[in-house]
Amino acid sequence: MSDLQPPPVDARSVPRETRTTRLEVARRELEAATARGEGGRQALKQYSQRMDAVIQQLFAEAGTASQLVGVFALGGYGRRQLCLHSDIDLLVLFADEITPLDERFLHGFLNPLWDLGLTVGHHVREVGEGSRLADDNPEFLLALTDARAVVGDATLLDQFVDGTEVARMAARTLQALKTLIAERHARFNDTLYQLEPDVKDAPGGLRDLFGAQTIAKLTDPVLLAQGGSSSRVLDDAEEFLFRVRSVLHLESKRHHNVLTHELQERVADRLGYAGPSVRQPVERLMGDYFRHARAIDRTVRWALRAAPLPIGENLVRASDGIRFVDVREASGRPETWLALFQAAIDGGCPVSDDAMACVEQNAGRFSAADFFPTRAHCQGLLHFLKPKSGLYARLSEMHDAGLLGQMLPEFKGISFLVVRDFYHKYTVDEHTLLTIRNLERLTEPSPGRERFSRLLGELQAPELLTLSLLYHDTGKGRGQSHEVESRRLAAKMLDRLALDSDARALVEFLVSEHLKMSLVAFRRDTEDPEVVRQFAGLVGVEERLKLLCLMTFADVGAVSPETLTPWKEELLWRLYVDTYNHLTLSYGDEVIDAKQAAIAELVEQRPADLSQDQIAAFLQGLPRRYLQLFPGEAVYRHVRLANDLAPGSVQAWFERKESAWELTVLTRDQPFLFSNISGVLSSYGMDILRGFAFTKPDGLVVDMFHFTDEERFLELNPGGDAQILRVLEDVICGRRDVAVKLKGREEGALRRKLPAFAPVIHCDNDASKRYTIVEIITENALGLLYRMSRVMSESGCDVDLVLIATEGRRAIDVFHLTQGGAKLSPQQQLELTENLQRVLEGRA
Amino acid sequence: MKLIKSIVRPNKVDEVKAALEKLQISGMTVTEVRGHGKQKGHTAIYRGQEYQVSLLPKMEVEVVVPDSIVEDAIKAIIEAARTGEIGDGRVFVLPVHESYKIRTGEREVS
Repeated sequence: MSDLQPPPVDARSVPRETRTTRLEVARRELEAATARGEGGRQALKQYSQRMDAVIQQLFAEAGTASQLVGVFALGGYGRRQLCLHSDIDLLVLFADEITPLDERFLHGFLNPLWDLGLTVGHHVREVGEGSRLADDNPEFLLALTDARAVVGDATLLDQFVDGTEVARMAARTLQALKTLIAERHARFNDTLYQLEPDVKDAPGGLRDLFGAQTIAKLTDPVLLAQGGSSSRVLDDAEEFLFRVRSVLHLESKRHHNVLTHELQERVADRLGYAGPSVRQPVERLMGDYFRHARAIDRTVRWALRAAPLPIGENLVRASDGIRFVDVREASGRPETWLALFQAAIDGGCPVSDDAMACVEQNAGRFSAADFFPTRAHCQGLLHFLKPKSGLYARLSEMHDAGLLGQMLPEFKGISFLVVRDFYHKYTVDEHTLLTIRNLERLTEPSPGRERFSRLLGELQAPELLTLSLLYHDTGKGRGQSHEVESRRLAAKMLDRLALDSDARALVEFLVSEHLKMSLVAFRRDTEDPEVVRQFAGLVGVEERLKLLCLMTFADVGAVSPETLTPWKEELLWRLYVDTYNHLTLSYGDEVIDAKQAAIAELVEQRPADLSQDQIAAFLQGLPRRYLQLFPGEAVYRHVRLANDLAPGSVQAWFERKESAWELTVLTRDQPFLFSNISGVLSSYGMDILRGFAFTKPDGLVVDMFHFTDEERFLELNPGGDAQILRVLEDVICGRRDVAVKLKGREEGALRRKLPAFAPVIHCDNDASKRYTIVEIITENALGLLYRMSRVMSESGCDVDLVLIATEGRRAIDVFHLTQGGAKLSPQQQLELTENLQRVLEGRA
Repeated sequence: MKLIKSIVRPNKVDEVKAALEKLQISGMTVTEVRGHGKQKGHTAIYRGQEYQVSLLPKMEVEVVVPDSIVEDAIKAIIEAARTGEIGDGRVFVLPVHESYKIRTGEREVS
């Protein structure tokens, strides 16, 4: 039979009768071939093409759709293996929402197919539904793997599939296929040696062959070349089964695939099996059948056993590690490479040798921008850099393959760099990577180093620490003061990655100051409060202190195995604790003075509408910490609002901060102010994670709350922020009682659980000259801040300064209190502690 | 000969070393140690919880010097390591009867 192209289609010139005739001719053609014993691959392909022509004709005659539409062949028809009485599986895909005009088009297209006596299985979809494809019916997903454009807009299928999570869809399809194969085999008692086999469904039948091919398509195109039967043997088996199946359809005149005893004789005859007795041709036929079925069975079992697991776009997890499904495609898409290493970390396995070879051979072709073309790719890098088991190994592989230096060109300068000194034992690049291994080890059980592990677990963005470590020594080998050069190089990277200003400032700080903490801890008298005060001034806030402490830990530990002794760890930790205490307990005594350099800068860069005096007056009396927390623009905004703040009024606003929110409030101090604000937030289910409250001597209050919206109130309610602000103003101005609003929620929260650990309440009258400091560490809970601060106010205390922190389930809050303008007496401290204890233990 | 064993603040080691070098004393052993003196450490607070810091990090500097410069060496160490605050450390002086160079086996007698 020749592989003829279907006759040209012209809707205007082909009458309906011709359509029927055309199909009849095609059928007769296949029947004739089958009768000659030639109903194999070529005949089925030709019949499929004839069917394409019929479909194309019907499409043309169906009228006009209101939009782009495409028709795609699925299943066996999609593979061009259409048998005489097989179903015609079609996908009709519309570019947009289906209109009444499109429905008319559909009827016009499908009805004549049924009129022709064809059994049609059809799916009608819109391209937009592709985004939910990964959750679709698994059998439909399976049918899609063989989809082929027949007529209409062929690009719609790509658009349909592009919208979905390819890896998840592939994984689901694969799982569905495995289940279907297992169920089908079970129906045949898991043996291919059937006396009357179903050539399509039985073990070793055509479905198994397609199944093995689909597994390879979904996971590894060369899977079938690595095991099972050879491709030549499989080709022979397929051809044999097609020929048998064609005869079965022809002889039974219906969709019938069981090679019954009766049909075995006829099939043997059609396929030219001869012999002196009646039984011999049949025995030879069945002998060949079992030989071919066994070949297919071997292959499908191999595919099921060896198939890699799809885990990401063009990525699978195989026995030798993470691999690209299509290496050629991957070689030209450098932006997908980081996902390879991320998958290896996530899966706790290596990157396969062939994937590493692909990266190594192609890395030099690309520049830094090629790896991070979008913001999502930059975020992907940050996600990758979160300290976790396997990060060092993967980064080392990336470095060895030349990838790290292409992604982060500044890192190239320290490759194999030798700096001779008395301490370092490794090249600068390896020292750098070892610092990251030291961090990584803190994420695992670290006997003796639990305190540093806890610090790492408390970091808000540990990935920025890894990024800083990658750059901390990049300036080495370029003259003196390598930290200055390292900062300059880090700035180039930060420009490329376009990190937000906070992240950028943090990385620049860590890179440029990475030597400071070891210098102070190991070379200065840390028992001198002035040394600690100066160091606290350098770090400014607790988060930076933690980061610098861990950076020092990782850096010193990577110099040599002997360098970070338990003795040095102790010195480092003591400096950390002393500085932490200074930052949280003594900051209230350090108020802004007019000579501070930061003020001069603020005044110099002030907008035209603000005078020097206004800025100075606003800052007067605020803790210096305020300037560490707010950038210039925020300060100017506060100055303006404070100037316009009428007595008894409130200025408050929300800002979205990635997955969380911030509420800033400026108002005048009054009793219960802090508890009222925190109570309003809690009454909307907000979980307050961080924040602070500053009260100036003149009574101006600046509070900031960083919280998560657990119930998505702000997201789901347009205008919800305005509603909360109205309630806040009502509560602060005394028009509404927050206790009533919070009561139901609070009772529910208190009923739900008891604290997992005993609360710690510590009063300190020595750390600050002006305030009694109450430090409370307890289990975080809804309304906790409200309850604690209400007790303080009820006890007659003024809540002047507050630091709020949450680390995992622990709330760590530090209150600076006065009573009648003075520190609390020992008796007052005792009473307050008892009251707090009662509230925290749920006894009040 | 005398063995002078000094327990000093970690940040004072460089100054002690420089002071001894001025006396032409170059060989020395420096060890990281932890201990406490009369105060037996102190109480520290971290996140509201008190804990006892009983052993404080110090550095031990050991030198062996001829009898003729023992007094000068002790004076140099004390001057270099002193801050005037509690926790400045201690200096111990022990007799050394003889010493041997391991490479040559050469013996030195006090």
